[in-house]
Amino acid sequence: MRVAIIGGGIVGLATAYNLAKDGVDVVVFERKYLLYGASGRNSGGITAMLNNERLIEMAKKSMKIYDEVQSEIGFNFLYRKDGYIKVASTENDLNKLKEEMNLQKRMGVKVKQIDANEVKDFIPDFNADAVIGGVYGEGGVIFPWPVIWGYAKGCRELGVDVKDYTTVEEIVVKDRAIDGVKANGEFFKVDFIVNAAGAWSNEISRMAGVELNNKIIKEEICVTESLKPYLDPYLLDVTTGIYLSQSMRGEIVGGIVGNEVESIDVKGSLDFLVKYAKRAVELIPKLKGLCILRQWAGVYDEGKDIPNISTTNVKGFIQANGFGKFGMCLAPAAAIEVTRLIRKT
Amino acid sequence: MRLGEHPILEFKKGKEVTIYFNGKPIKAYEGETVASALYAAGVRIFSRSFRFHRPRGFFCAIGKCSACMMEVDGIPNVRTCKVYVRDGMQIRTQTGTPDAEKDRFAALDDIIDRLFPHGAHYKRFTTPRILREFMMKQMRKFTGFGNPPKAVYEGKAEFEEIEADVAVIGGGPGGMSAAIYAARAGAKVVLMDENPFLGGQLVKQTHRFFGSGRHRAGTRGIKIATILEDELKELENVDVRKETKVFGIYDGVVAAVQKDEKLLKVKPKKIVVATGAYERTLIFENNDLPGVYGAGGVQTLMNVYGIKPGDVGLIVGSGNVGLILTYQLMQAGIKVAAIVEAMPRIGGYFVHAAKVRRLGVPIYVNHTVTKAIGKECVEAAEIARLENWQIVEGSQRVIDCDFICVAVGLSPTHELLYQAGCEMKFVPELGGLVPIRNKYGETTVNGLYVAGDVAGIEEATAAIMEGRIAGVDAAIKLGYGGDEAIKIREEVVKDLEEFRSGPFGERIVAGLKKVVVA
Repeated sequence: MRVAIIGGGIVGLATAYNLAKDGVDVVVFERKYLLYGASGRNSGGITAMLNNERLIEMAKKSMKIYDEVQSEIGFNFLYRKDGYIKVASTENDLNKLKEEMNLQKRMGVKVKQIDANEVKDFIPDFNADAVIGGVYGEGGVIFPWPVIWGYAKGCRELGVDVKDYTTVEEIVVKDRAIDGVKANGEFFKVDFIVNAAGAWSNEISRMAGVELNNKIIKEEICVTESLKPYLDPYLLDVTTGIYLSQSMRGEIVGGIVGNEVESIDVKGSLDFLVKYAKRAVELIPKLKGLCILRQWAGVYDEGKDIPNISTTNVKGFIQANGFGKFGMCLAPAAAIEVTRLIRKT
Repeated sequence: MRLGEHPILEFKKGKEVTIYFNGKPIKAYEGETVASALYAAGVRIFSRSFRFHRPRGFFCAIGKCSACMMEVDGIPNVRTCKVYVRDGMQIRTQTGTPDAEKDRFAALDDIIDRLFPHGAHYKRFTTPRILREFMMKQMRKFTGFGNPPKAVYEGKAEFEEIEADVAVIGGGPGGMSAAIYAARAGAKVVLMDENPFLGGQLVKQTHRFFGSGRHRAGTRGIKIATILEDELKELENVDVRKETKVFGIYDGVVAAVQKDEKLLKVKPKKIVVATGAYERTLIFENNDLPGVYGAGGVQTLMNVYGIKPGDVGLIVGSGNVGLILTYQLMQAGIKVAAIVEAMPRIGGYFVHAAKVRRLGVPIYVNHTVTKAIGKECVEAAEIARLENWQIVEGSQRVIDCDFICVAVGLSPTHELLYQAGCEMKFVPELGGLVPIRNKYGETTVNGLYVAGDVAGIEEATAAIMEGRIAGVDAAIKLGYGGDEAIKIREEVVKDLEEFRSGPFGERIVAGLKKVVVA
């Protein structure tokens, strides 16, 4: 059996890694370089404090897998488990957080409600007047780059052919079944194709003649100059969608949860910087006056199902996309589901 | 370490104030930057490198490097070469234990390197989980540069939207000329510069310029800056914003921060980028040691703030900058041990070279600096002879000096152009990455012009002419100036061609052929 995976992001590489451990012959196609897509552009927030059972289960499992995989591959993902805080500034949002918390608790996630002042127990310089309350739970920050480097290393050691700068030009379908794939002018005969192309999944799907209407979401992030350890947990303000945390390099990495866009574009904007800076200094006033070093944007896709792991009416064409903003939280466990789906078909 | 008498410059000292450096009181004068005040007080180590705790000192003096970053009044990561002293200011170094001057960890470098070589944070101590997580905690203790902010920054957060015909970024010779010529043609101009003064690097050029009368030959650089500023003042349709840092061009909107407290959103119809250049450094052993400076950094220290960089200098590079700097140092009463030049011949103009030779400074061609010697700052330099660009074994010798000036050229400050989406090309003749543009300086981004060193390393005279062309062309395209403006533009274009037609222009002309499109 030979499997082609389209997309060298976290979903594609984790799937390749799992398939290769099962002894499957795998080739991964990445159009640009590893880290070009959302897997290299996100802020690395890891949590199981999500809003439905499937996601919570998958995120919990993924957190465990991250621990195991780092040891297996011998690569440090710089996964810092210093907690995850969600705060809200409207009653409505706070009630939603509480409801979700009850579900999370039932499913065994370590999470508790905190009032605005208690946020200061975790972030001493937090401005309690900026929010009305929140929840604190297990989770933290992972550095997405070594996650990708590590998985790619693990894949290659297992004999996976990870091809970067390789564009998939054609998906060859014969009698409603996958025959192979043409990339950079070369034909690869495969039994399965996994569409793990993130924001580009709609295009790839169309090549196989399968309609897929994932939403494209653009999100922006920026980083400040580097500080000594200052912020331990990952902070998300659900009312404004603003999140921030401190990377292992000391930079404050933060952004705003994205919006749907018509087409793919990764240009940073001034509006984002202004909106982010305004709210970030409301939440933590001492961040005022820090310099922004860099800003960037990325795109991801959100399916009707989050994530969309399914077979299609083309035999051998598997969808593994539509993860929304939860790609890093869900991918390791999702990859096992994809592997199972391939085994079953 | 302050200069007293100077044959050309007169240093007006501001009011005396006291600043505190790691708790110690230091005398300073209003109008000087923190970095220069510290330097005048004999402070040489401004920070430590992140990994090997190597001492780092004063280098560029114009906010382009990060060697002088310190904590100022509780605010971390402040470039002290860009901040002016205030009475009672508290300044702390932010790297090193207990401080950058005496860093205890510096002694452990070799051991750290052996146990934890580059990349080890990903690859070592990864299993079992307990060990990995313990190591992460230890690693985190050593990360980060600045101390977490202790105070809430007091700067106000204001906002201003400005509409203009032409936005000029950079107030050096190129930018000022662009602003003047666009405004004279009738356009409404906003001119922004990150410094509290206009003139860019002209403010440290005490030498007289060459060229014909039209090119202000015989005028000292500092004087040219004043002349241009006076011309600007006569124009009512130029809005000059000093201490204004432009940080991005977003779909034609220029975003800037004025005096660290006001966000400017400038909506111009045309943009002229004249951001100049920054200094290159050279690869040699210990090139990061305090006492190894950029030539421009030394000029700033000496000609702007009246502070002696040291007692005896070694100059690396015999281009015009190296030669002029040598002469300027000697004017200020500082000894120059030698000039070394890797090329087989002197790079700069003969007149400059003759002048320093007459003053008894040896110029060693086919020589380079191979090592800066010293523990915490430069105590001497090792130079060696080159044959076919290879060091001749046995030719090394030690030159006594307490500072080394690297004058090996400049690179265009191209980042803003990249960010704005200009198509760029690497052209060695022009100093590095420069934008593709037409003969009036308009880049591949519609309405975005370049002028001066950012368009290719040349000198102030050419920058002035490029600025004029870009400024007047932007105005013409907006319907200003009529036939008179077109006449002016074509005259300056011709003028610039003439200026470049000499033997010193050959290289530039060859470089321009690669990037100027019709």
